[in-house]
Amino acid sequence: MSIPGPVRPVVLSLRGVSKAFGAVQALRDVSVECRAGEIHALVGENGSGKSTLLGIASGFLAPDEGTVEIGATRLRRASPADARRLGLGIAYQDYSHVLDLSVAENLFLAVPPHERPAYRSMDDWAEKTLAPFELDIPVAAPAGSLSLAQRQLFEVAKALLTRPKVLLLDEPTTALGPEAVEQLHALVLEQARAGGAIVYVSHRLPEVLAVADRVTVLRDGVAQGTFDAASVSEGRIVTLMIGRPLEVAFPERRAQDADEEILLSVSGLHGERFGPIDLAVRRGEIVGIAGAEGNGQVPFLRALAGAEQASGSAECDGRRLDRSSPLGPLRAGVVLLSGDRRGDALFPMLSVRANATVQVLRRLSHAGLVGRRGERRAIESLVQRLRVRMGSAEQPVALLSGGNQQKVSLMRPFLRGDVKVILAEEPTQGVDVGARFDIYEALRAKADDGVAMVVKSSDPIELAGLCDRVVVMSRGRIVEEIPRDELGERRIVEAIVGSRRRQASAT
Amino acid sequence: MKREWLPPALMMILIVALGAYSEAHHSTFLSKLNLNSLLLEAMPLVLVSLGQACALLVGGFDISVAALMTMCVVTASFTMTPTMSGIALVPGAFALVGVGLATGLFNALLIRLLRLPSIVATLGTLSILEGASLLLRSFPEGPINSDVAGALSSGVSFLPYAFVGVVVLAIGADVWLYRTRTGLALRAVGLDATSSRRLGMPTGRTIVLAFAACSVMASVAGFYLAAEVQIGSPIIGNQALESIAAAVLGGASLAGGKGSFFGTLLAATFLTEIDNVLPLFQQPTEYADMTIGVLILLALVLYQAPQLLSRARAARQRTGRLPTAGEAPAS
Repeated sequence: MSIPGPVRPVVLSLRGVSKAFGAVQALRDVSVECRAGEIHALVGENGSGKSTLLGIASGFLAPDEGTVEIGATRLRRASPADARRLGLGIAYQDYSHVLDLSVAENLFLAVPPHERPAYRSMDDWAEKTLAPFELDIPVAAPAGSLSLAQRQLFEVAKALLTRPKVLLLDEPTTALGPEAVEQLHALVLEQARAGGAIVYVSHRLPEVLAVADRVTVLRDGVAQGTFDAASVSEGRIVTLMIGRPLEVAFPERRAQDADEEILLSVSGLHGERFGPIDLAVRRGEIVGIAGAEGNGQVPFLRALAGAEQASGSAECDGRRLDRSSPLGPLRAGVVLLSGDRRGDALFPMLSVRANATVQVLRRLSHAGLVGRRGERRAIESLVQRLRVRMGSAEQPVALLSGGNQQKVSLMRPFLRGDVKVILAEEPTQGVDVGARFDIYEALRAKADDGVAMVVKSSDPIELAGLCDRVVVMSRGRIVEEIPRDELGERRIVEAIVGSRRRQASAT
Repeated sequence: MKREWLPPALMMILIVALGAYSEAHHSTFLSKLNLNSLLLEAMPLVLVSLGQACALLVGGFDISVAALMTMCVVTASFTMTPTMSGIALVPGAFALVGVGLATGLFNALLIRLLRLPSIVATLGTLSILEGASLLLRSFPEGPINSDVAGALSSGVSFLPYAFVGVVVLAIGADVWLYRTRTGLALRAVGLDATSSRRLGMPTGRTIVLAFAACSVMASVAGFYLAAEVQIGSPIIGNQALESIAAAVLGGASLAGGKGSFFGTLLAATFLTEIDNVLPLFQQPTEYADMTIGVLILLALVLYQAPQLLSRARAARQRTGRLPTAGEAPAS
């Protein structure tokens, strides 16, 4: 698929780009260039900096250092409008549709001003303009009524209609079935044949390698090199994607008892963005959920906890869970540790004490009054056990570090004697290395006490080290299950990028 | 399209119904004199509500409008004194618009550069303007030129020219909003600022312009108020919440991106009509406030009913909850 003849001009050039979000260095001195007629794949794990790089290339984010050139003109300030004028088109992973406006109106806003028709003939124009894409979507309907797959294809169509010199595609296939992927790839290849440059970000290696000319691998915000897609193997790419140094130790796992009773049993759970999902978790078992971001992992956990609507059934300890509100699962002993600590899990301005005891106040109170001394006594040993570092139990949790905040939210299931299932979402996100082991140990201790646990994490090392078993989700479904004796970072990443699945189906 | 006609239509029906009821009981309502004074009374609220609709369209609020109107009245007591006449009053009138423009840009600055929520930013502006008004006039003093009032209230039969003017302005603004590219762009920014920015639209500029327009309209409203009260009162403006009420009754969504200028105009007229007819029935004005409150709640429920219904229906299909008797839950 490489281009014969003279070397084509570079249309997009990122040089020495660095970007930090707070303390996190998302990109470090990354340089990538994309030539006319080339499909350039950009691959890496969750959080490796792919989306940040696209954000900078498209003018949505300002780099801390480094330059962006589109068609040999430098992008002087972070402005999506300027980038578009220079000939850049982008299809966002989470779309750029105004959902309350019609498909035609969205299309109208997306094309350059001089290509817009008279306002009154918008619907006819949209119909004609979209016809070659064979999307089969009603142009007068609001964009919000499209299915996720239709939204994704429409997003790519919108980007293509700006006739970009450079087209950026951010995970354009997360909601697409195999046929729609083919359809999309045909469009992309046609664009490349016509001389367009394409940067294609995807975590689905087989898919993206099937169409790419070159591949750049990112790991932890650092470029690991650019390769000819034809000559590099998937295995080599996976090797470059993984291999972060192991920073933390993990607590010892007990021998698994296969006869242990099933505490959490999910069958046919089906929500808007996931499912149907079947899953059974035994007492004392920690099951990990892996997958690229946005493949339904979080909605699945939230649905189990009653925080999102879904059909199908879930049982805890043999009794059907009432998931119509978070209260039902909570009463049945199912606790969600939300990844959105500030938004969902904690009361930032309340004290450590109040945050820890908020779910067990009834037990700590006498005649309707909460005894402060009793509260303190209840959390004292836990503070030591979880090694929460704080000034005093009266300090607002907002003043603690991320790791200590997470420990405070972990205190809740410890204080309740009746917890049967813990659903943990990114338990160590934003937590420094030192505090991670404390959290892993606390989770494992709770499992050894007889709790069934589901841990969603975007860190394959964490999943491999902490869990007894890992299931991999893609497009909202469980596509693979990795047993304990096969667990490892590489094995999980291979499952996420789908390379082993393809080999398995090819043989 | 159909749903957008609901608020103006409803307001029109209410105006006519209340008018007919009043006329049936007190034949003075439809007198030329009363209609003329009703429309003139409505002018300040209509103008400030049209401005407020701009702020609501980009998903914000401006609660500083009433304090700005007061500031304009106070300013007029300095720049439009009874000793001036004719052409000498023009710079004085422009001074009011200048105060409005400066206030609008100040609000926009707070919102865009300091990233303050508009309700907080304009609350600050409100206090500053209130304080400044009291500094300039600590009690109502300073007569305002009365020629202006005469000019503003001129008209044909019971119709003031000025009211005809704002009707044309409001209809024109609606045509612009729903039938042109830039109107569509404004609605897009109000509905979804992130997507709009991604599509390369100047979201920042749009928000600045909307707040500037809001304050300029409020200053014109202040100009009318000044002509009406004819004295530099530092405590005259109280239309902040009423202007939001009028915009919402006229069809504006508090989340931004939806609204109708013509509907807002009708709603502001209707709110003034309530004030106007209460004395006819010897009812205290407190009832007006309560009526307005109840109406806003009813209107919000009514306007959002189609959305709420379709959401409930979709949720039921998705979850298989609330199945009717004997019906199996959808999978």
